[in-house]
Amino acid sequence: MTRSPSQAAPGGSARIWRLAFGLAALALAANLALAGTAVSFLAAVALASAGPAAFAFNFHHPAALVRLFALLRTGARYGERMAGHRAALADQVRRRTGLFAALARAPESRSAGWQLGRPERLADYIDDVADLDYARLRVGFPLATTGTALLALLAATALLAPLALLPLALLALAGGLTGSRAARRITASEASIRRARRRAAADLGAVLAGSVPLAAEGRRASALRVALDPMRDAEREAACGRQALARCEAVMALAGPLAVLAVLLASWQAGARGTGLLPAAFLAFAWLGLAEPILALPRALLGSVRARLARASLATEETPDAQGEDAARGSTRGALTLHGLRLRAPDGRDLGPVPDLAVTPGIALTLVGASGCGKTTVLKTLAGWTDDRDGEAIRLGGLDRPATERRALTHLGLHDAVILADTVRENLFAPEASDAALWTALAAVELDDRIRAGGGLDAWIAEGCLSLGEAQRLNLARAALSPAPVILLDEPAEHLGDDQAARILKRLLAGWQDRIVVLTSHRPDLALPSRRITLEPSSFAPDQGRRPWVAALCRP
Amino acid sequence: MARTRTNRARRDDAQPEPAALAHARKTARGGLRRLHALQALRCAATLIFAVALARFAGTLIETGRLDGPALTLAAGVALLGAFLGARSEGRTADLEAEVGAGLIDAVEARLATMPARAAADLPRGAVIAGLQRHPGALARLVVGHAAARRMMAVGPVLTAGAVALVSWQAALALLLATPVMIVFFALVGGLIRDRAAAQEAALGRLATQFADRVRTLPTILAGHGLARETAKLDRRLDAYADGTLGVLAIAFLNAGVLDFFSSLAIAILAVFLGLGHLGLAEIPGFAHLALWQSLLILLLAPEYFSPFRRYAELYHAKAEGEAAATALAWAFPSEEARASEPAPLPDAPGARGLVLPHAGRVRDFGLPETGLVAVTGPSGAGKSTLLRVLAGVEAPASGAVRLPEAEGASWVSLDTPVPAGPLRDAIAAGTPAPPEAVARAAAALGLSEDPHWPGGLDAAVRAGAENLSGGQRVRVAVARMLLRPGTAFCDEPTAKLDPANAARVRQALATAARSRLVLVATHDPALAALAEKRIVLGQTDCARDTARDTARDAA
Repeated sequence: MTRSPSQAAPGGSARIWRLAFGLAALALAANLALAGTAVSFLAAVALASAGPAAFAFNFHHPAALVRLFALLRTGARYGERMAGHRAALADQVRRRTGLFAALARAPESRSAGWQLGRPERLADYIDDVADLDYARLRVGFPLATTGTALLALLAATALLAPLALLPLALLALAGGLTGSRAARRITASEASIRRARRRAAADLGAVLAGSVPLAAEGRRASALRVALDPMRDAEREAACGRQALARCEAVMALAGPLAVLAVLLASWQAGARGTGLLPAAFLAFAWLGLAEPILALPRALLGSVRARLARASLATEETPDAQGEDAARGSTRGALTLHGLRLRAPDGRDLGPVPDLAVTPGIALTLVGASGCGKTTVLKTLAGWTDDRDGEAIRLGGLDRPATERRALTHLGLHDAVILADTVRENLFAPEASDAALWTALAAVELDDRIRAGGGLDAWIAEGCLSLGEAQRLNLARAALSPAPVILLDEPAEHLGDDQAARILKRLLAGWQDRIVVLTSHRPDLALPSRRITLEPSSFAPDQGRRPWVAALCRP
Repeated sequence: MARTRTNRARRDDAQPEPAALAHARKTARGGLRRLHALQALRCAATLIFAVALARFAGTLIETGRLDGPALTLAAGVALLGAFLGARSEGRTADLEAEVGAGLIDAVEARLATMPARAAADLPRGAVIAGLQRHPGALARLVVGHAAARRMMAVGPVLTAGAVALVSWQAALALLLATPVMIVFFALVGGLIRDRAAAQEAALGRLATQFADRVRTLPTILAGHGLARETAKLDRRLDAYADGTLGVLAIAFLNAGVLDFFSSLAIAILAVFLGLGHLGLAEIPGFAHLALWQSLLILLLAPEYFSPFRRYAELYHAKAEGEAAATALAWAFPSEEARASEPAPLPDAPGARGLVLPHAGRVRDFGLPETGLVAVTGPSGAGKSTLLRVLAGVEAPASGAVRLPEAEGASWVSLDTPVPAGPLRDAIAAGTPAPPEAVARAAAALGLSEDPHWPGGLDAAVRAGAENLSGGQRVRVAVARMLLRPGTAFCDEPTAKLDPANAARVRQALATAARSRLVLVATHDPALAALAEKRIVLGQTDCARDTARDTARDAA
């Protein structure tokens, strides 16, 4: 839980990474050696056959070497792929668990409007995480193996045919230039693609949601065109980035062919003839064997740009950690009292005072108010989901309860609660409860028949399996199963018919005689056995303005 | 819903290729031909380089003589090959972008013509996330993948032809090895499919667990389930990693088989050619060759297999592209919805014989040229539907409506889009109103001095109007309506407002109704009381609301 998500590889996968690197190096070495050996072997026999030594030529050793390298190359490549992916997957599991824990600690997960609950933001986030997951396999790994091979071949070239280094140096210069240009181009285009996608997502979302108003005003087609243009631009921008990369690839692809010619020519120039040319032939064709693996370098460039952007984008979503939960102290019986609370908009603007209140067990309190008046924020404050503020005090059982403690004391039924892709049982968040208790809770929210028909408690459900009303009732079943002394429900009647909402809530309230219950509703007409307060920004108006209510509810 | 499903099933039976895939292929066709030609040229350049290199190296080693023309040719063709490679890669990127943009065009056309209500009910997040990824994936399938497949047919034949220049027997040996390789391929491919299908059921759920837990994080926190879910996530990701490795072990066999064949070809050919040079064996086609000839055979043998390997490396592009085509199916309906015969227009503004979808018959009514008309009735009675039918956004089940002549129309509801930027621009959007008029309209709705939204007319509206409450959006929409001419349609304009602002909106609507027709669908008795005319729905039929309809009306 305390691991940082950006931490380096752990001990567990380091061993597999070493194995993968070893195998990759072996595969590459065998590949180069195979190309070199086969050619120099052929050249050797061709030269031998011309002379009298043809029958004395030891044919078997080089032939066996060629076979060995061929098999080694095949086996090591397969092993490298498996080991590399095993290591990357092990890292992925660890990193994702860490990321999840970090997200859970971040204050955003408890503030209004969970951005990653939206499919398009979630998809972007998952792409970023995946780019980082494979960064090592796609960037660091090929860079290390190809880089090592490149250095080895360069060293051999310096030894055998130093003149050949001249054209190679020119090529390296060209490669460096096109590479850095491609890197700049890709960085710019990937960044602009991200921006365009964000913009298109926001615009298209608004246009789709407003399809009816736009169609009524005859603006739908033009609004759609404007919203989708950034997406078309993003496709074209991606093509520009790929073209820059293709130019860099073309230069790198020249390395093998150029080196093979240069090494042979330089060696010949230096006076090597006949069998004297054999070492140069080996080296030259080893260079040719590198022609394909060297293309991993420009590809790694793309991977590293993506990983860098992903890291930056994930970092903006990582924020200082909020506190966790503290165990409740002392007795939790008695009234919940509020002192000096303020109504707040979701973005933190002060909307006026909440009067000092006391809520006693067995008598639920309903907060009624128009959209945007701060009802949800009051509930989140009670649940300890917002930071403690000076001057605000919330007491339970006579003790001041700070936010971290309130988290443990309360059950918060969110109005936008969702269904986890999991079994019904896991969705109820009551691992301790018996099957009978689970069924009782489901029956109380009139969901038992539906769940039974769907395959029982261990049937797999996901978002979309249940209607909005059914999801709301499942969320109420979670509350029914909660042992917390304080139950907070945000808009529990939303998505439910009037009759059904009243029926279910009455049943639940009857079972919560020993609990403190606070719920909100934007529907003033909901008939519930509870006290009602109408919240209004900048003023506090008890229902229909009757003063005696204030006296009953507000304590000095 | 049920209808679209049967349509899809029928299309699957009739033609196996999804419409999105067919559309993408059609867009790609012309450019693909040029791409094929470029790739064939590039392949030819590679082969000529091999010939020139073999000639240069063979002569150099065997005779010690520098073959100048071969060296020049090799260097020239290497440069040409690199140029052609960059060109064909660039063409691929361009063509894929073109196909992707074409798919977005098709989606745009579909979104613009589908019923507005259906477009509003689309799963927005999924549509957006899909539009950002699926066109590209589909384009890769019909361009990059298709080109690699074509090269798999062309490349080996050209290579075998080049080998045949020096030894037709060696070329034949390569050609004969191909069926064996294909048998291996088919075996391994079958293994992958069977294994993958078996694994998919198990892994499908696990694969999305991380994304699902991130999505549902606030719910998990609210249910005090964090510790349990974190442990479960760890366990399930581990299980997923193990399962994935099982699938990869088979998938990599594909590339392994090709590696094996190309390694084996080099090893066997090297030995045969060596025996031939030494005169130890008289294998036809492998004996009495010059060194450059045997070098050429050795150089071209792996080249023969490389198109197969490149194709095998794209295995995921095929799966992703096909999944994308299926996911985009909604944008390519197989048949256009049949347009019903339009009923004759009523003689005077109003409705005749109107039957609303899902809500039923509406008693005939007339409409005045100007004034406030309220549509009332219980939830689910069809108030919003009637408003949409009157605005011409939705077709009635039967019957016809006619509105008074007016230039333009405005729609006020919770989902009226509010563009990002300063508030004054959001209010003036799409109208040529002067600044004073904007200020007047804003003041009428209490927008210029809202204490909870400081900044007045300069206050910033964020993208998607995320920082506005439902009530603020409606007030912006009403202010904007005041600046636009024509009939106004208002769907529950006071539902989400506090009393003071609800009064402002009622006042604004009453003022607007003096010069134009203002139609409101409302639950608000105070607003209905201001109306000159009421259309009451759902009086005869007992309205049976489902939870869904209630939710929709409330929203």
